[in-house]
Amino acid sequence: MNKIKALFCILVPIFLTFLFNTKIGTTPPLLKFLNPFMGFWQNAENNHFMFNHKVKIKGTIDQVEIVFDDRMIPHIFAQNDHDLYLAQGYVTAMHRLWQMDFQTRFAAGRISEVVGPKAIEVDRYQRRMGMVYGAENSLKGMMADPKAKEMILAYTAGINAYIKTLSSTNYPIEYKILDYKPEDWTPIKCALLLKQMSAVLAMGSDEFYMTNILKKFGPDITKDLFPDYPFREDPIIPVGTKWDFSPLPIPKTPASFTKALTGDVKTKEKIEGIGSNNWALSGSKTASGMPILANDPHLDLTLPSIWYQIQLHAPGVNAYGVSLPGAPGIIIGFNQKIAWGVTNVAADVLDFYQIKFKDSTHNEYWYNNKWNNTNKRLEAIKIRGQKDEIDTVYYTHHGPVVYFQKPKYVRANNVPIGDALRWIAHEQSNELMTFYYLNRGHNYADYRKALTYYTAPAQNFVFASVENDISITPNGKFPLKWKDQGKFILDGTDPAYDWHGWIPTAQNPTVKNPPRGFVSSANQSSTDPTYPYYINWEFSPYERGKRINDRLAVMKNANLDSIRLMQTDNYSIMAQNLLPAVLPLVNPDLLNATQKEALSYVNKWNKRYDANEIAASIFEIWTKRLTFNIWNDKFEVKGIPMRYPSRDRTIEMILKEPNSRWYDNTATTKVETLSDLVNEAFKYSCDSLERRFGPIKKDWCWANVKQTNVPHLAKIPGFGSKILMIGGAKSTINAISESNGPSWRMVIELGKTPKGHGVYPGGQSGNPGSKFYDNMVDSWANGQLYDLFYMQSSTDKSAKIISRLKISK
Amino acid sequence: MVLPWWIIVVVAFATCGIIGKTGKIAFWQSFLAIFLLWVGYALFKSLPNDNILANRVAVMTGVKLWWALLLVTGLLSGLAAGISGYCGYHFRKAMLIKKTDEKIA
Repeated sequence: MNKIKALFCILVPIFLTFLFNTKIGTTPPLLKFLNPFMGFWQNAENNHFMFNHKVKIKGTIDQVEIVFDDRMIPHIFAQNDHDLYLAQGYVTAMHRLWQMDFQTRFAAGRISEVVGPKAIEVDRYQRRMGMVYGAENSLKGMMADPKAKEMILAYTAGINAYIKTLSSTNYPIEYKILDYKPEDWTPIKCALLLKQMSAVLAMGSDEFYMTNILKKFGPDITKDLFPDYPFREDPIIPVGTKWDFSPLPIPKTPASFTKALTGDVKTKEKIEGIGSNNWALSGSKTASGMPILANDPHLDLTLPSIWYQIQLHAPGVNAYGVSLPGAPGIIIGFNQKIAWGVTNVAADVLDFYQIKFKDSTHNEYWYNNKWNNTNKRLEAIKIRGQKDEIDTVYYTHHGPVVYFQKPKYVRANNVPIGDALRWIAHEQSNELMTFYYLNRGHNYADYRKALTYYTAPAQNFVFASVENDISITPNGKFPLKWKDQGKFILDGTDPAYDWHGWIPTAQNPTVKNPPRGFVSSANQSSTDPTYPYYINWEFSPYERGKRINDRLAVMKNANLDSIRLMQTDNYSIMAQNLLPAVLPLVNPDLLNATQKEALSYVNKWNKRYDANEIAASIFEIWTKRLTFNIWNDKFEVKGIPMRYPSRDRTIEMILKEPNSRWYDNTATTKVETLSDLVNEAFKYSCDSLERRFGPIKKDWCWANVKQTNVPHLAKIPGFGSKILMIGGAKSTINAISESNGPSWRMVIELGKTPKGHGVYPGGQSGNPGSKFYDNMVDSWANGQLYDLFYMQSSTDKSAKIISRLKISK
Repeated sequence: MVLPWWIIVVVAFATCGIIGKTGKIAFWQSFLAIFLLWVGYALFKSLPNDNILANRVAVMTGVKLWWALLLVTGLLSGLAAGISGYCGYHFRKAMLIKKTDEKIA
């Protein structure tokens, strides 16, 4: 009896120890986590005292001085490039280690290692799309360049030097919540981070949907509803710009493609939000007589922010701007002489090829009139708590065959089964050198040289210099294609469908100092139809670009505030175009009291998506429902994934084809007209707002419907921001949605000394226990910009310094 | 050198095993000691932080308020120590009775 009692007394404490030391489901090991000596309480930073630090890192060549200003932005002063990038790695890791780890793990398909089998499909998708394959090729390209190699190795050494200083007491809190450890940084992770940007910005592909549409509706309707150029456009390169080159011969369109479009042969989607604005004004339009440049890239908003502000100062370089944690250099910013920024081109650089396999072993495929061998690549997916899963991916000369069976994974909806993927991100590349040269650039020639190193994701690079030059270039490595090559799934057996080389970089569309005195881009069409090469058949809707150009065209004596206020402009060209056509169709006699009141709001509306506008909420839901009413019965068919025609095409139809057959809902016996759909949509909008908020009152205001907030990168509850009651919408310059929008707002006034202004919705520190975690969110929400401290030396008094870090060997 | 959290289990077990007077005292003194130690040190870290982190983690765990999280820290750790202390005391008692059983036998 006593023996049993004694045994019990030993076992119970042991059991308790295991219970409170083990991660159960998503709950972290309770007492390990709550332990104030080593658990999360240790991550609570002292808000009231800042300390100076000294650290010795082996491999540093000379001394490095880093000063932190009152927003925790590091200003690095090094004596050579190697130390500069080592220091960048060190401080970025100091503030954002977990973010860098998480984002590169995600890119590499290694999330299951941390969270277990529930992430297997997520990881498999990354492996099948060839993310690691692409990163390996990209790294080869970078390591072959001695400068890029030096940058990457130094950056890696800096990160690892920081990791060495950590013990489990001071791991970033997410490691404690998810119960795992930081691992050493390796050069491939820099490549993975860059590939992940490509995945976010250049993984758009609708050809699976388009091919299904072509099969269902035939070539005539497909051409009509999905045209190759919008009916209203304001292209990035102004209309009338001459092309000063003789283009390469365009590859011939294969006869089989033309036959498919004429219906003889049977052949075998991107959310709005992936976009940005940038523009530059020449001195002729500014009060100072010197250029002003602005950029606001639109990305998913997260805490910590995708961007990290930094200043890099070393012999030959003194640049300030935002960097991507995980890659050395400054991506968007300025130096003494020039400023630059980027928006997404969204070129057609991702294609699917239908493959004819010999048999179910998939060892051979038909191409160029013979059987060719596939390459097998084994991807080992480590899973927490389970055996590794070995995934076999078959590679053709085009690229990997992504899926043989449809997985249960939303992101894979636009991937056709059994098809091989050709993607620009699989190429060798050396993007880091573009930013290396931009960071050190003095003038237009330097800018043009920097662009030649860039592969993907293609960006509209805007530029301004103190020599009063402005320019914009939709730039990247573009495959040389025949028109519409890639709009539909391609024939993988026929060499005529391969990519036939590249557009020479010097022939990428570009304009310098146009007569109108400004350049701009908002992801609209790169050019007018006179450009000889095919970049894509569809770009972003033109409304943002048009509004930007309308405002810049009449701007005189512009200063900081002119530009700052433009970045937060909530006026909607879409509302301007659409309201006159649909408002008259609403029949007030069929409306109830709430709906009549709603109609009066819309009638008085100034077309601004301001925070307090009730009409904006009504209009937004109304137009979304109208689009649904027009297209859903035709393009939402179970088993046949398709997509709707573009917003531009829909608006064109509403304006120009009021009696189109497409308004009829084929599911009903009644023949609907545009007026029927408009009225149903209007009532639907009012009813849904009433269901959600009750009768019309302040709660109907746009900010309350939009619910903008900045969540944590891994969506950990409590670690995000509160709801921000602000305006903006995707069809306006201030392109804010629920949690996507201007991830960085920057305005640079060039001059004898550049005056930089910027803000992002977040903070420099990735530690939720730091006061620098989200300290800039409110300013961003209020449309304000901070004055950026552009220091000339580490003792420059113009900056407010709160702490220093010295790195020595 | 920082020790892992379960040192409280070991220390409570051993201490009450050696000098524990009754099961009740073993439980409550262990509980109180660790409760005060953990809550005290947590406050020492959290107050200069203006409880920013504690508030966020409180929302994450569902207890919503930072001092509720503090209470949970104290209660759970106290419970673990208390139970271990109680087990330590009874373990010794069980071993002693065994010894006397053997002596008699």
